[in-house]
Amino acid sequence: MTRERIPQAAGLALVLGFAIFPFVYTANDYPYIMHTLIACFFYAILASSWSMLSGYAGQFSFGHMGFTGVGAYTAALFSHYFYLSPVPTGFCTEFLIGGQYLVIVDAIGVTSSTLTQDCLRKALAVWDGSVQITPMPVWLGITLGTLMGGLFGLLIGLLVLPLRAAYLALFTLGFSEILRAALSAEISITRGQAGIELPYLFDAGITLFGRHFDKTDKLPPYFVMLFLLLFCLAIMLWLAKSKFGLFVRALREDQDAAAALGVNTTRYKILVFVLTSMMAAAAGAVMAHYIRIITPNNLMILQMSLVVAMAVIGGVENVVAAAIGAILINFALELLRNSFEIGPFTIDMTIWRLVVFGALLMVTLRFARNGLISPIIDYFTRGHVAKETVAKRVAGSETAEGPP
Amino acid sequence: MEFPHIFWWTFAWMIFWAVTGSIATRRAYLRRDLDTSNAPFVGAMLGASTGPLGLVPLCLNTPTLTTRFMVAPALASVAVLMIAFGFADPDNFCVSNGSFVASQIVNGLIIGIIYGFMALGLTLIFSILGVVSFAHGEFYMIGGMITYFLTAVWFPGMNPVIAISIACLSAFVLGAAFERLFLTPMYEGKVDRPVEYGILVTFGLAFTIQYFVQATAGANPLKASRYFDFPRIRLPTSADPWLIKTSRGNMELFDTVSISNPRFTAAVMCIIVFGALMFFLHRTWTGKALRAVSQDREAAAIAGINPDRMNMLAFALGGMIAALAGAMLVQAFSWLPQVGAIPALRSFVILVLGGLGSIPGAFVGGVIVGLFEAAGTGCLPDAQKAASYIPAYGMIILTLTLLLRPTGLFGRRFASGAHGKF
Repeated sequence: MTRERIPQAAGLALVLGFAIFPFVYTANDYPYIMHTLIACFFYAILASSWSMLSGYAGQFSFGHMGFTGVGAYTAALFSHYFYLSPVPTGFCTEFLIGGQYLVIVDAIGVTSSTLTQDCLRKALAVWDGSVQITPMPVWLGITLGTLMGGLFGLLIGLLVLPLRAAYLALFTLGFSEILRAALSAEISITRGQAGIELPYLFDAGITLFGRHFDKTDKLPPYFVMLFLLLFCLAIMLWLAKSKFGLFVRALREDQDAAAALGVNTTRYKILVFVLTSMMAAAAGAVMAHYIRIITPNNLMILQMSLVVAMAVIGGVENVVAAAIGAILINFALELLRNSFEIGPFTIDMTIWRLVVFGALLMVTLRFARNGLISPIIDYFTRGHVAKETVAKRVAGSETAEGPP
Repeated sequence: MEFPHIFWWTFAWMIFWAVTGSIATRRAYLRRDLDTSNAPFVGAMLGASTGPLGLVPLCLNTPTLTTRFMVAPALASVAVLMIAFGFADPDNFCVSNGSFVASQIVNGLIIGIIYGFMALGLTLIFSILGVVSFAHGEFYMIGGMITYFLTAVWFPGMNPVIAISIACLSAFVLGAAFERLFLTPMYEGKVDRPVEYGILVTFGLAFTIQYFVQATAGANPLKASRYFDFPRIRLPTSADPWLIKTSRGNMELFDTVSISNPRFTAAVMCIIVFGALMFFLHRTWTGKALRAVSQDREAAAIAGINPDRMNMLAFALGGMIAALAGAMLVQAFSWLPQVGAIPALRSFVILVLGGLGSIPGAFVGGVIVGLFEAAGTGCLPDAQKAASYIPAYGMIILTLTLLLRPTGLFGRRFASGAHGKF
């Protein structure tokens, strides 16, 4: 096996390892480890799509968490307000669609359910169990969330076209903050800080490999998240290798030069925004269905800084490195939760781990600008390049009239 | 709101003509081969205030757009919006109660001065280093934290002036050390994209400081006691003090406007330091050197100024200004390790609104943001919603500025290095 193949083999082994891990691991903390790994995959999707946007295309956006929120909230609102019913309720806004009634529940905000009920609950009380209503399918909500993320990505991509560097960062931060403020202020629709509850990812349970999994089991969401991550990575790697990746990198290095050489900068800038925001939105929607509650605090700047830091520490110009960095760091942050004591002082690691993490981010930026993971990959895949270049140069100088 | 449709239809009408105006005016100016940098802004404001009446002559005549064309339509569109609001909601305090409006305006002005002062630090950093410091809010936070711990915990009864000076000095040292350790590779061309590097590394600093303070000081809200008491004043007579009436913690003007002591002292302090800073920047050699570097790095270096030292000074001074704002406001607000986030966002807004590295712009922008927030919180019919939207008001201004006039109010269009690009 040549040295260039080692990262590919290692990547394959890692994927296989993640695929068989849930079947071989049987320790007591199985649910905890599985939960941590799902969160790791979630952050890996965000970090790798953010590195595509900022590392490849050079669009330093701080609104990535906003797109995640768009996806999650679309899925949440969809499952919260839309139902199918075989008979009309008589209270709600409803449309007849293919023999079923599409019921749109009215928004009542956060109220005690004994005092005020939304129109569907009123109808259910009248029916007294004689009518079975169906909630909307979860996959439809996730799809809608992804599309809505893409739509917002298109909008933001169009608005930021003339902006560069610092201005882009501020604008996207502003978008994310406006979104957060609106979500926490419009209590009547989004229930504000109380958050919206969502149904399980597989509400009726699911049968996989001849085994039935309950809706609370961690294994199905684990594989959903893992497949989503692999799917996103595959798309991004394919794009990075194709013409698209080349154009987008040209955009990063010098936008005007790229435009002068015939790259449609507008189209590629918007495309990369739409694509990465769709990935973030899909991850957000799936994660929201997995943790089953979404609040505006999920869009906090802290979350954004975690994603940025993970991508930077992994390697911002390599989507795979960013994903691996996110998985490693999220896992390390979970393991570092235990507090310990040095003499009379108790070190509360739940906070100190974040201090260490911030310092690590600064030091990585200062001394290893390509991150910590991506140089390792480069060592194997491109290690021979330097030697070849030197060899060519030596050969070139020998054939020429001698050293200058 | 009593007649919401009046307001929302006016609003929709204004938005429609603003969008039409900004696009049409830009097209018209482009066709005549004229300078289009101001055209979208003037078009949008004129469209919003007068509708097609003002737009048609503008597009036909295409005069050279000067400040006169920019200020009047902008004020007119604000006035139109206010009148529509007045008709839509005649019972609102903002429309019916003059003294409420007066006190909102005064409070907006005072808080706006403090915001502007804080943004001044960011402007200084941005104009000289070309970096938007994402750690600005954390300098603000540690300024307040150090002052609180000095006056209340470590040395109770310490003179607040000394405590504030120590807090400022620590922020200055921290800023200088950070700049030397982490920002120097930017100037030597070792980083591919210096602006992004600066943003990320200050982001890391913000993260580290915030959690360091949370780990050491805890996450309980803290509040310093008042630094100074107002002297007891009753004017014109003590029986009928309609002009000025003060108690120790509050001042009342004309029986209507009430100003709390901490905010008043903070604003006065900010104005004094602003004056001192202006003197420093315009009258001393070092200040002139700072401004020279912000205008042209290479030329300043040729004239014998060491730009690297100016970078350090600018970053340290910027951090110190934020820390001073924090030290003054720790007596007014409760203090948490996360307290810096919202003022930092506001400073970003003011930085963009005021214009690239413009010091008067920072002050005017601060006052505008302060007034806008006061109007937003005071006038929105649903008080709870109004409070939840506080972080968004500034961001709306930011979005509008970036869309209509990315150079801001007083921005220079061409500057050296990375500053000129946006």
